[in-house]
Amino acid sequence: MFATVNWRHLLLWAVFAAGMLLLPELVKKGTLRTIIMAQYLAIFAMSWDFLSGRTGYISFGHPFLIGIGAYTTAILSYRFGVPVELSIPIAVATTVVGSVLFFLPALRIRGSYFALVTLAFMELMYQLTQVIRPDLTGGTRGISGIETLTRGAVNGFYLSFVLMFVTAFVLWLLSRSRLGTALSAISMNEDAVAGSGLNTTKLKLFAFCVSAAVAGMGGAFWVHYLGSIAPRALFDINFLFTIIVAALIGGASTIIGPMAGAFFLTFLLEYLRPFLPGAERYLIYGGIALLIYMYQPKGLFEIVSRLWRRA
Amino acid sequence: MTQILIQGFLLSGLYALIAVGFTLIFSVGRVLNLAYGAYLVIGGYAYFWLSQTLGMPKIVGVLLAIVLGAVIGISKYRLIVKPLKGDHVAVEISTLILAVVVQAGIVLLFGDASKILHPIVSGVSRVGGATVTYNILTAAVVSWVILIGLYLFVRFTHLGRALEAVSMDVKGAAISGVDPDQMNQLTWAISGALGALAGVFFASYTQLYPGMWVTPLIIAVAVVIVGGIGSILGTLLVAHIIGFMEVISTSLIAAELRGVFTMLLIIVVLIIRPKGLFGRAEL
Amino acid sequence: MSTILSLAGIVKRFGGLVATNDLSFDVAQGESLGLIGPNGAGKTTIFSLIMGEHRQNEGTISLDGNEISSLPTHARIGRGISRTYQVPRPFAEMTVAENIRVGLMPDSLRGMLFGASDPQAELDLAQSVGFSGDDLDRYPSELSMGDLRKLELARTLATGARVILLDEVFAGLTAGEISQMADLINTKRKEGFTFVIVSHDLRSLEPLVDRVIAMARGALIAEGDFTSVMNDETVRSSYLGT
Ligand SMILES: Nc1ncnc2c1ncn2[C@@H]1O[C@H](COP(=O)(O)OP(=O)(O)OP(=O)(O)O)[C@@H](O)[C@H]1O
Ligand SMILES: [Mg+2]
Repeated sequence: MFATVNWRHLLLWAVFAAGMLLLPELVKKGTLRTIIMAQYLAIFAMSWDFLSGRTGYISFGHPFLIGIGAYTTAILSYRFGVPVELSIPIAVATTVVGSVLFFLPALRIRGSYFALVTLAFMELMYQLTQVIRPDLTGGTRGISGIETLTRGAVNGFYLSFVLMFVTAFVLWLLSRSRLGTALSAISMNEDAVAGSGLNTTKLKLFAFCVSAAVAGMGGAFWVHYLGSIAPRALFDINFLFTIIVAALIGGASTIIGPMAGAFFLTFLLEYLRPFLPGAERYLIYGGIALLIYMYQPKGLFEIVSRLWRRA
Repeated sequence: MTQILIQGFLLSGLYALIAVGFTLIFSVGRVLNLAYGAYLVIGGYAYFWLSQTLGMPKIVGVLLAIVLGAVIGISKYRLIVKPLKGDHVAVEISTLILAVVVQAGIVLLFGDASKILHPIVSGVSRVGGATVTYNILTAAVVSWVILIGLYLFVRFTHLGRALEAVSMDVKGAAISGVDPDQMNQLTWAISGALGALAGVFFASYTQLYPGMWVTPLIIAVAVVIVGGIGSILGTLLVAHIIGFMEVISTSLIAAELRGVFTMLLIIVVLIIRPKGLFGRAEL
Repeated sequence: MSTILSLAGIVKRFGGLVATNDLSFDVAQGESLGLIGPNGAGKTTIFSLIMGEHRQNEGTISLDGNEISSLPTHARIGRGISRTYQVPRPFAEMTVAENIRVGLMPDSLRGMLFGASDPQAELDLAQSVGFSGDDLDRYPSELSMGDLRKLELARTLATGARVILLDEVFAGLTAGEISQMADLINTKRKEGFTFVIVSHDLRSLEPLVDRVIAMARGALIAEGDFTSVMNDETVRSSYLGT
């Protein structure tokens, strides 16, 4: 696993971490809060990308995964007083187990149908959280007053940074391994991967579990940062859209791409807020995303690295 | 009982109308147009603006909405689908983005709040204890007329046969002198027009709001997956299954659960038959 | 010689079309068997059935005496059999080395995660099919048809299979590439590999096979050494399309 990792890579990671950890000294509290949102979005985008960007199985159900993690820990800690040290790991495990149960059959489905099933799951979850046991889920209103883990923007930043950094580093290691190569091969030609003697179902299931674990973890910590949860904000096409667009704008099938995309989108949102306070801003988001995507489906990462090579 | 029967048939007619434009693209263009719901939104709002804001005659509003849908369908094909050369993943993603862009554009133009459409055809009558608005009755009748018309068109006209040929085998059709590109363009235009028309009725049946494209999209998806790609009979049949399931769950179980069964239907069918009930191997 | 691959009573229907009709044949350990027949005879279908990419409607397929019909493709490859495709299907966005790497991977998550790739093995395999060290970093889009077939063969060999099914190995190759490929197959035969070779290029096939079977419309019509099959009346008429 470490054969393709050399000290230069590790140095770059260290420089990245050091640079990010200096941020609280350099920027205002408000900006720091924006960065926190960007970091959670980056986690979700990396999670989506590890499944969909790499294997080519487009998931429209990531909010569903994030929602399982978020709701599990929210319900456990708020309704049953389970300490967060316990409720968050349970939430991650539940996301993985729950999503495997739901999606295992879906992994037999190829192409566009996979996307459709995951979309159906998200809508299903949205409707179910409102009607099944609203005493637990809080129904349409959701739950608020959930325990928060950190006080103040600086601590919140450190926590979300550590989460994002660890996620990025682990996913990067995975993608550098032979397994990462095999996952990318699936998106190019799944039959030929099977024809090379590899069990593609196992590979996809692995990618799926990793993706779900990251989504569940991100969702669980996120809800303990926000302190509240509501179905419409979570199981929402706009949220799904933001995750996917973050991954795509930056560059699918890379690690830096989804992170860069998440920061780009979140800051764009922040700057647009005074002019376009409501849902209209998705017009700008979407317009930019569509242009970039039509011009270069591999995103900014590819555009920049092509310019670099030419220069 | 009569209530359920009548309501079921009327709603199913509307759903068939919603689904038929979507299945057309799926079958001829072979791509998943996630922005299909956007036609409904655009159709609904165009009608609202023309006939309720500008005060044009209703029929003019409907016709212009249909024309707009067709134009948007063609542009979508020209600007997005064709350049992506039938890459499924790319089309799925870009049409999803487009759907969100359209939704945001509507918010910008008309605001976030939902609007009430006056019925396109006003009047109510009571049949065996059931209230039947002429509005939804018209939608159901129009839907039947369109489905039958489409069926006859595909079966008995030269153009229709050419369309069908493209849906079966693009290369073969090209060899026998049918221009797949032209056929695709025609399909996108028809699909857009049907979507816009369905949007006018759907909006007048429920409400007009910027996010009103998701539910119809899921209904259309369910109909296509369960009923088979490009099968007009399958479309009709499954639209009725879904329509009746909704009416039954609304009146007998719980109104909030009406959409749940549609989703479950999609999931269960795909899991039992990964290729869809009448599906082709891959999309 | 012992039988390594055995097909018995194979029937495969695609809807109403019978692609193979009650077909049976054996392949001996270390043998090289030619499989010929006009277009649409069902040769490729036989390969897909052996590899489990399609399932036969009737009949059994065994490898080394064990029935493999219920195994998925990757498990059959694990048992030591692998194929190339009539139309090469490389991983388009991967280099030659990476394409071979996928073939070399063990089918275990742990092995893929923690085992390092083996550049030497990749180079050896590439060279064994006639690539040079410089070719390792090239992408499929830069390769000729001959190179693509070599890459396909290298990935197939990389799986560790000892029974290799080659589909139309010579199609689209230049004369030089054909003789290169033939040399390569002969080398591998000497190393003890078992081959089933489908080819329309009968002249190139002749020196590579111990035995030939001919099929037409899904059925076996002749079996024997190259010359006798070529002289068979049924074979001649089926090739002439009568
Ligand atoms: N997936 C499939 N679905 C339906 N029919 C198929 C399928 N694959 C093959 N066939 C049909 O089965 C018959 C045998 O095809 P096959 O590809 O095995 O022939 P072949 O001998 O390899 O021909 P060629 O020399 O042209 O490669 C043909 O009539 C073909 O059309
Ligand atoms: Mg063949």
